[in-house]
Amino acid sequence: MSSGVLFTEMPDMERRLGRVVKVVIIGGGWAGCAAAITARKAGAEVTVLEKTDLLLGLGNVGGIMRNNGRYTAAEELKALGAEDLIEITDRVARHKNVHFPGHRHASLYDVTKVEPMVRKKLKELGVNIRLETRAVDVEKEGSALKRIVLADEKVIEGDVFIEATGSTGPMGNCLRYGNGCCMCILRCPSYGPRISISQRAGVEDLLGQRGDELYGAFSGSCKLAKHSLGSEIVEQLDKEGVVVVPVPVEDVNLKKLDYKVCQQYALKEYAENLVLLDTGYVKLMTSYYPLEKLRRIPGFEHARYDDPYSGGKGNSIRYLSMAPRNNALKVLGLDNLFCAGEKAGLFVGHTEAMSTGSLAGHNSVRHCLGMPLLELPRMTAIGDLIAYANEMINRPDGLKNRYTFSGGKYFTHMQEKDLYTTDVEAIQERINRVGLGRIFAEKFL
Amino acid sequence: MNRSDCIDAGTEYCPCYLAEVGECIMCSQLQGKVFCDCTNWKGVCILQEYVWNHARSKPSRGLFRGQILGAEEVAADVLLLTLQVNRTLARELNQPGAYVFLRPPGTAEYFDIPTSVMRADERLETIVLALQQRGVKTKYLFKQRTEKADQEILLRGPYWNGILGLRHLKGLHHAKALLLLRGIGQAPAVPVAKKLRQGGNEVEVLLDPGRIKNFTTALFQEMGCRVLPKIILDLEKLTLRADVLAYLREKILTDGVKLIYCGGPVFLTQGVSNLLQELRSQVALVCSNNTKLCCGEGVCGSCQTRLKNGTRVKSCKTQIDPWEVYR
Repeated sequence: MSSGVLFTEMPDMERRLGRVVKVVIIGGGWAGCAAAITARKAGAEVTVLEKTDLLLGLGNVGGIMRNNGRYTAAEELKALGAEDLIEITDRVARHKNVHFPGHRHASLYDVTKVEPMVRKKLKELGVNIRLETRAVDVEKEGSALKRIVLADEKVIEGDVFIEATGSTGPMGNCLRYGNGCCMCILRCPSYGPRISISQRAGVEDLLGQRGDELYGAFSGSCKLAKHSLGSEIVEQLDKEGVVVVPVPVEDVNLKKLDYKVCQQYALKEYAENLVLLDTGYVKLMTSYYPLEKLRRIPGFEHARYDDPYSGGKGNSIRYLSMAPRNNALKVLGLDNLFCAGEKAGLFVGHTEAMSTGSLAGHNSVRHCLGMPLLELPRMTAIGDLIAYANEMINRPDGLKNRYTFSGGKYFTHMQEKDLYTTDVEAIQERINRVGLGRIFAEKFL
Repeated sequence: MNRSDCIDAGTEYCPCYLAEVGECIMCSQLQGKVFCDCTNWKGVCILQEYVWNHARSKPSRGLFRGQILGAEEVAADVLLLTLQVNRTLARELNQPGAYVFLRPPGTAEYFDIPTSVMRADERLETIVLALQQRGVKTKYLFKQRTEKADQEILLRGPYWNGILGLRHLKGLHHAKALLLLRGIGQAPAVPVAKKLRQGGNEVEVLLDPGRIKNFTTALFQEMGCRVLPKIILDLEKLTLRADVLAYLREKILTDGVKLIYCGGPVFLTQGVSNLLQELRSQVALVCSNNTKLCCGEGVCGSCQTRLKNGTRVKSCKTQIDPWEVYR
């Protein structure tokens, strides 16, 4: 009998004694942060590599939580033991239980407050955060990743890796598939472009489409400086969190909806109206809107963009870089690379990133300990979304859809399967029934 | 991974002809791929520049008429040319690795002589070049000068990739550096020493006259370098002399030298590289780019260099680490 067989037959606890598992997470957006937390909770030594000077990536300009099925998913995350990020976004919510076209009971977090709180949380948990550190390549042995090569040619070793680099940019992609660099929060010219780690490791990326042989999709919203808008709009936003202003008839462009990432907001109402949400900035629920036209609308005479800076011209291009993966979020074709967030599928939203991130972080530690990987059952909304997105990717039009708890095809599916509920107790019971209560808080090491 | 940089990336000459034909050194999309893979990002999106330039390359380097202000024969067969250029060109050539193509008036393009810039003075709008009479082109230039006493010379530039390992050179501060120079290789080392001294480094120069003589000693000394005249190479064995190797060993192991620059023939750099490998040393290796340069634009192919990993690069433009060649 070989020693390898003996090893796998050893009881779990004995095998874990004295082991250190090094998890390296590439990308410090919502997915990367969520992965860091669950990997850390499971007892690993965790390093997050983030190319910019801010964690959260697009989370710094997002803000929408708990709308439609995201409410269910947020509560599932809490029940699964990955409550940390949901608690933060709840705590910094400027508005709760907001309704806007097609969306119910949304909660809008303050994008100007959230990043420092997440950073503090990760530090408290003992996550090693490396900002302004850009991963550009990998070093492999066989089909296992050994090291991540940084832009300065230094290397970071790890036992297991999680790619959460997202799928946005860089400039060349935004140019070829969009309207050029619009100066978004990712700031490629300053911090360098995103590199697809899985592709570097030899696993070809899957590409989202917005039409036949038309790749990528525009980010779905932009931000206006609040004090550049008329006082009536600002007052209503501060009070209610949402303002809907009709678009002048001659400017209604229904075609624009096809370009959007966020199909949950690609509704007729969003072409015929300006939907504004208060997230600290004023979130304008359209990919971009020419400034000249915007300023013709009463209350917008002095409007200007805060993100992307050239929101009058375009927005960032996304979904050009997904890794093929299984439902435990392990990248296919590589031994020890997991993925999360947009890298893991055509997912839209913070909650979706937190969900996939939490699972990838947890599974990365299981993988190192030789434990069976966790697949969340389809009786849970999160497990169902992850499996559903993977099923759809293989269907002819699957790459043209986006998958989110908050709308579009998946929310319909979620309702049909009776997974959507805002009953917190029922959600907790659902998680407990499958025996996964606080699984993400379990410490293995 | 290809970590080679194009020296022209992000300059006013980028994108160049190579982009138009899908041969860009840096940009995956301009290599015919359809997605970004910017492993060696230099802060500028070349595709963006290309598209904004109506999918055309930027205008290439022009031909200047340089007035010859002085031509001093510093050694047999070596001419020190001082040329009046314009302020912009002088400024652009005022950096290590800068070179131009020189040509006597009335001759065809294939008389272009790639020549390193030894000194450039932006204020006086002058550059100084050292030229050794070796092959057809240099011999013809020397002949023309004697016969016609031309006061002008044609000049194409600026080009910058005369030195490999520039990032080590630019990244060294308050440390010790050693320059090994031989023959005409001393001229392009003048801006190297200048850069190192600007970085607060201690610089020692081992100067081997080669077939000519040491004409840069005073320049190095003025900059505060320690100059040590020394025969570096064993020309019979085509390697470094034993005493030089012993000296280097000590410099690396006990004196804490952090960077070695080789300005001389290929086997000089190879010899130093061998020593560094033997010592498993982390000392940075920087060297002169000794490939044959003809067009300087990555078009003609004369500078093609095969790296140790098997890839081929156009070394007139591609900034490579000497390790990738001398291993």
